[in-house]
Amino acid sequence: MALLELQGVSRHFGGVRAIDGLDLEVREGEILGLIGPNGSGKSTAVNVITGLYPPSAGRIAFDGRDITAAATHRRLSEGIARTFQNIRLFGGLTVWQNLWVAQNSARDRAARGFLSRWMGGQSGAREGIGKLLAFAGLAGREDELASNLAFGEQRRLEFARALAAKPKLLLLDEPAAGMNAGEIADLDERIRAVRERGVTVLLIEHHMELVMAVTDRVAVLNFGQKIAEGTPAQIQAHSAVRKAYLGGDH
Amino acid sequence: MLDLLQSASDGVLYGATYALIGIGFTLVFGVMHKINMAYGAASVGGAYLGLMVLKLGAGLPVPLVFFGSFLAGGLLGWMVYLACFHFIPLSSPLATLMSTVGMLLLIDEVIVHTTDGMPQNYPALFDDVMLRFGEFTLRGDLLLVFLVSVACMAGLLALLYRTRLGLATRAVSQQAIAAQLCGIRLAQVNVTTFVITGLLGGIAGAMIGAAVGTLSPLLTTPLTVKGLIVTVIGGLGSVPGAIVAGLLVGGFENVIQLYRGVTERDLYVMLLLFAFLVFRPGGLFAPAGGRN
Repeated sequence: MALLELQGVSRHFGGVRAIDGLDLEVREGEILGLIGPNGSGKSTAVNVITGLYPPSAGRIAFDGRDITAAATHRRLSEGIARTFQNIRLFGGLTVWQNLWVAQNSARDRAARGFLSRWMGGQSGAREGIGKLLAFAGLAGREDELASNLAFGEQRRLEFARALAAKPKLLLLDEPAAGMNAGEIADLDERIRAVRERGVTVLLIEHHMELVMAVTDRVAVLNFGQKIAEGTPAQIQAHSAVRKAYLGGDH
Repeated sequence: MLDLLQSASDGVLYGATYALIGIGFTLVFGVMHKINMAYGAASVGGAYLGLMVLKLGAGLPVPLVFFGSFLAGGLLGWMVYLACFHFIPLSSPLATLMSTVGMLLLIDEVIVHTTDGMPQNYPALFDDVMLRFGEFTLRGDLLLVFLVSVACMAGLLALLYRTRLGLATRAVSQQAIAAQLCGIRLAQVNVTTFVITGLLGGIAGAMIGAAVGTLSPLLTTPLTVKGLIVTVIGGLGSVPGAIVAGLLVGGFENVIQLYRGVTERDLYVMLLLFAFLVFRPGGLFAPAGGRN
């Protein structure tokens, strides 16, 4: 069953068609890889799904509901969370607070009193955040300012922050960028662990080894359109994909 | 030496109102990266509206006038947000700057027309109290101005650092896009920031009225300029910076006034600003990283 469904979604910037009539289906419980050369529209697709850019045309449905026009801040409570290609942590907040913000805001939708929503303290959040810290390998670092973490730690914290709201769908925008081989192996394990917990994953990534190893299916974008879709093995053998990446006849 | 100490301490006490105004500029800048030029005028306007409490009944206690100014300031803050930010595209850096300049002029005009340009008496508390330590004295009304301002700052800091609303506000100021994707509603944080800074401005206006003894439309422009100077010296976006800079500017200008007279006072304040712009352009407390 499709958890996320894009139907004919386009996003134009002036005359540039960053994505153009994109149909994409993310099935519940799978890890879908989204690949494509630079400028093929991958990041635009993620930004449209998370509501940072409204689509110029098309329809987006999540979990059976139309979210095409839903405000960005509501997508989290619908169950969509993401990480960013260029890390966007709250640098002046502590590790713990970074997770707390995301965890709490997700619950705001539930009809809670005005006072507890605004004035509420940190009680009741400890257990969940403790688990996230352990998952991200950041236990014992909770009082550190996020901006003081090393690059790899920041990536792990952002990953954990995206999970703090207990999303149904996790969008990972180039999570392996700038990582070494050991860190990528860790990331591979983390992505699988997340899926084990029942979270569906859409992985946007340049690092082919990771994509081929961890995904169930792969969709390929080029010039804002989907040119291929299939299992990692099918994609590797696909002529149009090889052409998009390598150019010419291969 | 005693004169110096005396005017410095009087200035620092009065400077607490500058600190409040500086906080108002700096908070809005921190959250929205916009300057609200109408803030000083709205603060004075809030104090004027508070005076209406007195007009309702002459026997009403003075703290009620202060409280009225406080609430009216919050209301004006909300109105400034609606008129100058809510419907105006925030992506254009000049649009909101001009809309708030327009609001500054509008509030000024409304004050002038409703009062026929005449200064209005503003009540004070403890203006007959004088604490003496040998030759050194502390004016009771100035002390009250200082204490009320400090209490408001403490309340604000508690709100910013001890509540979820404050956490959301800080998250937005550090990384607005990620904050939205963490489920924080940007518009709500923005409007709340305007109401809270408006409340602080109303109190600042009331305390200025109490310290000076009168309200006049001539207050708005110098207050706007002082507020911006305090914001720059403190470091744009830094609340602790605005507090320290407010007290510093208050003390500095009063000492200058002692030695050079009131006519040269603001000249030296400008020189202080100039020195900061040249030697420490980030201000006393340049905000910690995290803004991309």
